[in-house]
Amino acid sequence: MIPLEWELLLSALLFVIGLYGVLVRTNAIVVLMSVEIMFNAPILNLVAFSAYFGNPAGQVFALVAIALAAGEAAVGLAIFLVLYESHGTVDLSKARLLRW
Amino acid sequence: MDNLSALMLALVSLLSTLIALYSIGYMAEEDGKPRYFAEICLFVAGMLGTVSADNFLQLLIFWEIMGLCSYLLIGFWYQKPEAASAAKKAFLVTRIGDVLFLFGVIAIFVVFGSLKFEDIQAGIAAKFGTPALDLRMMTLIPLLLFGGAVGKSAQFPLHVWLPDAMEGPTPVSALIHAATMVKAGVYLVARSFIFLVPVNPANGQVISAAVPWDAILVIGIIGGFTAFFAATMALANYDIKRVLAFSTISQLAYMFLGLAAGAWLLASSGIEETGGYSAALFHLTNHAFFKALLFLAAGSVIHAVHTNDMREMGGLRKHMPITSMTMLLGCLALAGIPPFSGFWSKDEILGVTFQVGASQSLFYILYLLGILTAFMTAFYTFRLWFMTFAGKFRGHHEDHVHESPGVMTGPLAVLSVFTIASGLFTFLLPGSWTNLIFYHEPLGESPLSPFLRMPDAALAGLSVAVAVAGLGLAYLVYSRQSIPASRFTRSRAGAGIHRLLLNRYGMDSAYNKLAAYGVAGVAAGADWFDRHIIDGAVNGVGRATLALGGLSDRFDRTVIDGAVNAFSLSTVRSSLTLRQRQTGRVQSYAGVVVLGLSLLIFLVFVWRFLLPALGVK
Repeated sequence: MIPLEWELLLSALLFVIGLYGVLVRTNAIVVLMSVEIMFNAPILNLVAFSAYFGNPAGQVFALVAIALAAGEAAVGLAIFLVLYESHGTVDLSKARLLRW
Repeated sequence: MDNLSALMLALVSLLSTLIALYSIGYMAEEDGKPRYFAEICLFVAGMLGTVSADNFLQLLIFWEIMGLCSYLLIGFWYQKPEAASAAKKAFLVTRIGDVLFLFGVIAIFVVFGSLKFEDIQAGIAAKFGTPALDLRMMTLIPLLLFGGAVGKSAQFPLHVWLPDAMEGPTPVSALIHAATMVKAGVYLVARSFIFLVPVNPANGQVISAAVPWDAILVIGIIGGFTAFFAATMALANYDIKRVLAFSTISQLAYMFLGLAAGAWLLASSGIEETGGYSAALFHLTNHAFFKALLFLAAGSVIHAVHTNDMREMGGLRKHMPITSMTMLLGCLALAGIPPFSGFWSKDEILGVTFQVGASQSLFYILYLLGILTAFMTAFYTFRLWFMTFAGKFRGHHEDHVHESPGVMTGPLAVLSVFTIASGLFTFLLPGSWTNLIFYHEPLGESPLSPFLRMPDAALAGLSVAVAVAGLGLAYLVYSRQSIPASRFTRSRAGAGIHRLLLNRYGMDSAYNKLAAYGVAGVAAGADWFDRHIIDGAVNGVGRATLALGGLSDRFDRTVIDGAVNAFSLSTVRSSLTLRQRQTGRVQSYAGVVVLGLSLLIFLVFVWRFLLPALGVK
């Protein structure tokens, strides 16, 4: 049995890695992938607490959240498609419409 | 409303009705009849308002309305330059008198605080002897009022407008410049008897210390002199209407002389001696009738021969029988031949003047002038009649001459009845009619008692004698022509006098020159004042404003604009710096969000966990 702390630490690690990707990388696809990594951190938390307390409801929530993440990725990809059509690139540092 | 007002109202209403009727015939072929009759009506309203006033303000206002109508009607044929300038002359010359009158009214108000005749009479009695009434004002006020009368009644030295006023239509001359308006001056002096003969209403006695003897003398001298002066000018004139105009001036002057003598008599002999006052008003009444008749008859003649010049008339008796007969009656009345109306009243005036001479010998001289005037009056009146109606026709187109229509001869007939009868009314109708003429209270005894009490019946004989002498001389010169008229002008002195009279003593041209140079001088002065003082002040104000504006402009530009610009500049600068934080890059925004969230979490951690753990409360 893996202790809960390790699982929580892994979850925090995942979140921070994802956050780093979102803030630093300029490619929109990579940013989306980083967001997916961040998304996995709370799902891992749900599963870990479910196992810890022996309550299967957490695992059900985890499944729902994974389905949501798939939808979210689809919406994100659609936005990037439009971004590509209007700017000819998916480089986020180039799409600076709100700039002064 | 008293006897004087009632008399004037009756006279004005009767005469204006007759003359308006006559105008229908006289003005039949003229354009502008509505204007003519409207102005006549306005004039009658003005005259009735003047004589029915119970205070000097109303009197003054209606007086001015009359002056306006006089101006409008003299200038009725305003296309004619002579008529237009005569109208202006009449207006401006009478204005001099009117201004004096206005000052008089102001003085009355200042002294008495009221303009009502009754209040003034009571005011004199109440204030006399106290410092509130300066005795010099008692002389000044009637003289100022008399100044107005001199202008309106064309007395010397303001007589120059009346002969020129004959440029107007003849009915206007008859109504305004013979029968009614020029009488308003006499009326005003009769009204100012409240000053000339101040009576204490309490006991009916004359306050003899308050009588302005000097003012009475001035009125008498102006009257006596003007009577003589105007009659001389009538001797030589050839214009039928101007002869009548000079005669009007002269007869009005008789009335002033009568009023002055009457005032002197009343003031010195007590309130019962109303002879002069009655005589003047009696003459006013009679003169209104016979002078209106003479003017209307002259108008009838002018209507027939289309000229005013008596040298182009003559022999009209057979063409115009009614006109010639009625005019003869008027001439007899004017000349003072008994029993026509002019005789009774003129003789009464002369008689009273002679009577007053006993207490002020200056009136003897005025009486002498009056007798000489009576002689000249008879002469020029019959010179006029003989030149017009007797002898042979001297004009052109004798076949065109015809008698005037009935609407014109009708008023002539009515007026000639009055001309004969108005002098006899005093005998025929004792009571109502005579009480209108005579002063204040009805006189119990014979209405003509002042006349009958005349000191010497020889005086009446003398005036009849001079009148007959004048008539006879005119007959010899102008009808029988046994004395040729050229005989008077043959000698150098005679020719000079003739020219002097024709030029009206040069007074008109002197006044014209005076007005031209005087007015031009005043205008030049006003121009200089305007250019240098007024314009200087205006320009100075302008320059000062400009300088002030420059100062204000500089303040605006430097201080106000500087502050505003500095504020806006700093705003722009700070915005230039601040907007650089707005990168437009999603990731920098996300970084800010993460940073803020982390800070929040840290603060919550410190607040909820670290501080309690460290024991800080």
